[in-house]
This record gives sequence, structure tokens and C-alpha cells, in this order.
Amino acid sequence: MPSTENEIHEEIRLLAAVAAGGRPAFRELYARYSAPLFSLALRFMGDAGAAEEALQDAFVKIWRHAGSYDARKSQPFTWAVTLLRRTCIDHLRKKRRRPEALPLPADDTAGAELATPETARRTTEVHEAADRLRATLATIAPPQRTALELALFSTLTHAEIATQLAQPAGTVKSWIRRGLFDLRGILNEPVP
Amino acid sequence: MNDSSEELASLYVLDQLDRDARAAFEARLLREPALADLVRELEAGLARGVRALPRREPPADTLDRIEGRIDALRAAAAVAAPSGFAWAAFAKWGLAAVITVSLATLAVQSLRPAAARPTIIVVGLDSDGSTFAELPLRAAQDSDASFIQLASLAENYWAKPGSRPFKPESASGNSRGYALFDPGSRQGFIAIEQLPVVAEPRRYHLWLRDPATARVHDAGVLPLGGMNRGLYSFALGSDDTPVSDRPDFFVTVEENGAAPRPARPLGRVVLGQQRF
Repeated sequence: MPSTENEIHEEIRLLAAVAAGGRPAFRELYARYSAPLFSLALRFMGDAGAAEEALQDAFVKIWRHAGSYDARKSQPFTWAVTLLRRTCIDHLRKKRRRPEALPLPADDTAGAELATPETARRTTEVHEAADRLRATLATIAPPQRTALELALFSTLTHAEIATQLAQPAGTVKSWIRRGLFDLRGILNEPVP
Repeated sequence: MNDSSEELASLYVLDQLDRDARAAFEARLLREPALADLVRELEAGLARGVRALPRREPPADTLDRIEGRIDALRAAAAVAAPSGFAWAAFAKWGLAAVITVSLATLAVQSLRPAAARPTIIVVGLDSDGSTFAELPLRAAQDSDASFIQLASLAENYWAKPGSRPFKPESASGNSRGYALFDPGSRQGFIAIEQLPVVAEPRRYHLWLRDPATARVHDAGVLPLGGMNRGLYSFALGSDDTPVSDRPDFFVTVEENGAAPRPARPLGRVVLGQQRF
């Protein structure tokens, strides 16, 4: 479920409306972002309660800092992901917890909710996307894949990833670059 | 596009660059369209990857909880601001809550090199230097509550200069101000008075220097908008560098204009101490 150019422009408009205090725009952004951000927070934090706490803080920050969003520097969703990631890092640091590096689960059906036809359609799309993500990651060589997964789905810095993988930082940075480029290329292919 | 630029773009998209490297890369983004296009493509890959995670919905009442917190902050901000406040600037800086609450439980503490419990740092600033005081922080684990306490103190000191726990050292008529800062939530307020008015492209820029690490943190541009006084909220960026409880604040006048903000202070210090 990639963001199209139109969706990106709409999200930029929503952020501008949030900056001006618009509550409907905030709710629309929440509707768009809450599930992917909560899914990511769950990976970062490891449990649902901590993930929800981080999600709440991240959305309060989105509301507070929407006025400082700069579309020249990032897309709205990337900006929100960055806010969430930094929030999770702050929470983990306060709790003196180390971020955990979790592999992608083999199955993502648990927890999927089919509440409405629209949710069902989106969930189906997301399942397909998740399948493609796993298939994509499976084509990447294991060391690079691990480095990319840690960079994408953990709160570790690249230096910490290098330490965890017992590799030079330069090697890990190169792996992350190649992995992200591979991911970009494969995920950008049209769905057959 | 060479490997180095591609590597930086990947690390930027994944928020894996440190603050200085990120600022330098963002400066390049604004003047290199090909690099900006590459970042857009990588962002699309990141977005697809995140959206392809096993989908989990947050609890149904999460939005209500978030809106409840926002309502509390909005209510705090609804009280009239003291004269001289720039509400337009507040919109840029995030919410600058200006509330009046009882401060009876607050007491200025004696200065210590380090505090074992959560504190709010109060720094009196003038053109000659800084004066420190500490206050207990009542809600150490709650960023919003910390913000409200900071806002209430900042407003009270603004409206009642005699209540400030420091005295200006410079002669009357010189630039002066004060900063309140919570090292835990990395947020605070800065009040300035009697700074000479500067016109674009010159701007006043707020910095925090942590003597414990000698690191200088960017706290943002003061959106004075042609005025010589104002009260603003600020927040340091989130990174892995904690800030100790005896920071120095200082204001410089920078010549950068509309260009990307300088990653470090370059201009003349006009308020507070730099102490390099």
C-alpha cells in the first residue's frame, strides 16, 4: 500500500492543517498512520502497552511539531516514522532497556482485524505487501538482510548494528545501502 | 550519484545520521535535485517496508487518549498571554502554553554541581553571563506535564520579574532574558528582552552547551519577527546524547538568512555565555 504522489500531497496538506490546529486533519492523519506506526512501535518496544504509549507520544509530537515539518526534507510518512523511532529510543533509554532485534515473524495473520469491508480490503493488501516484503528480504544475502532489518525495524544505530554483527561500521553502512536499494527496486516493481 | 552519496541518502532516510551529518545532508538536499529525487525513492521503499509489517491496530481508545492529552495542552494555552507575546511565533515553535497555576509548592533550591533527582534548570541570561538556579520537577516521567510546569513558570517570571530566582547582572537597558529547561524531556522556554532588532537575513539563534560533554546543541531560531522581546518554547532534537543538568544557554546573531541553519554557532554571542 505505497503512498502515491497524490496521497503524499494530501498528507502534506493535512500536516499544514494540523499545524493550524485542525482536529479533523489530525484525525485523518491518525487514520492513515496509526496502524503502520503502531506495528512499527510494537517491533521497537516489544510489547503492546509500551508500543501504545510510544504511539500516543508520537502523535502528540506530530500535533505539536506539524508546523516545523519541511516537505523539502522528507515525506510526511517518513517524518512521522522518524518521530516515532526517536520517541521509542527515548522511552527505551528512560527504561534503561536495550532495543531488541526481532526477526520478521513467519506469519502475520495473528492480530489482523477484519472489522469492515474497507479494513478487510486494506488488510488483504497489507498481507500481500508483507508477503512481498518477506520474499524480497529472502532474496538478500543473510548478513546484508540482517543489517537491513536491524536498520529498518530496530532502534539500533548503524554503529550498534556493526557491534552486534561484529563487522566494521563501513561494511554495515554499505550493507544497509545495498539492502535499501534492493528493497526499493523490488518493492517498486508492479504487482503481477 | 556516487556510493558515498547513496550511502548518506540511505542512512538519512533511516534516521541513522548524527545531528551534524543530518544537517549537512539536508543542506545538500536543498541544492541538489538529483539527491532529493534519490531520497524520495528511498523513502518510498522505507514506507512500503513499514506498511508491509504485520499489521497491528492500536487499541480502539488510543485516539481518544491522544486527543485528551492535546485538549489538556490546548486548555492550558487558552489563558491569555502576557502583553508582548507573539502568538504567530508560537505556531512555529509548537505550543507555548501560558498558564497561571499555583507555584506555592515550588522553592528555589541551592545550587549543586549535579542533581540526583529530576529538576528544572533556570538560567538567568544577560549580555555578561549566566546565573543558575534549580527547581524540583513535579512530573519527571511525563513530557506534557513537564511542559505545562515549564510554561507556568516561564509565564510567571515574564509577568512578575521580581519572582525570578536570579537578578540581572548587567546594567539596565542591556539585553537580558532567562531560560527554563528540563533535561529529561529536553524541552524548555526562552525569554528575551531588549535584544537589538535585527532584520533578515540576520537571525537570533539559541544554543545550549553541555559542559559535561562540551557538545553544543541547536535549540532553534528565535522568531522575533522584528520585535526585541518574546517568550518561546523550544525542544532539542532527540538523539542519544543526554544533556546534563548544568547547561549553558547563549544566543548568537547568525547571518545565514533563509539558508539551512548553521550546524554550530558562527555569529557573535549577544546573550548568555558561550564559554568555549
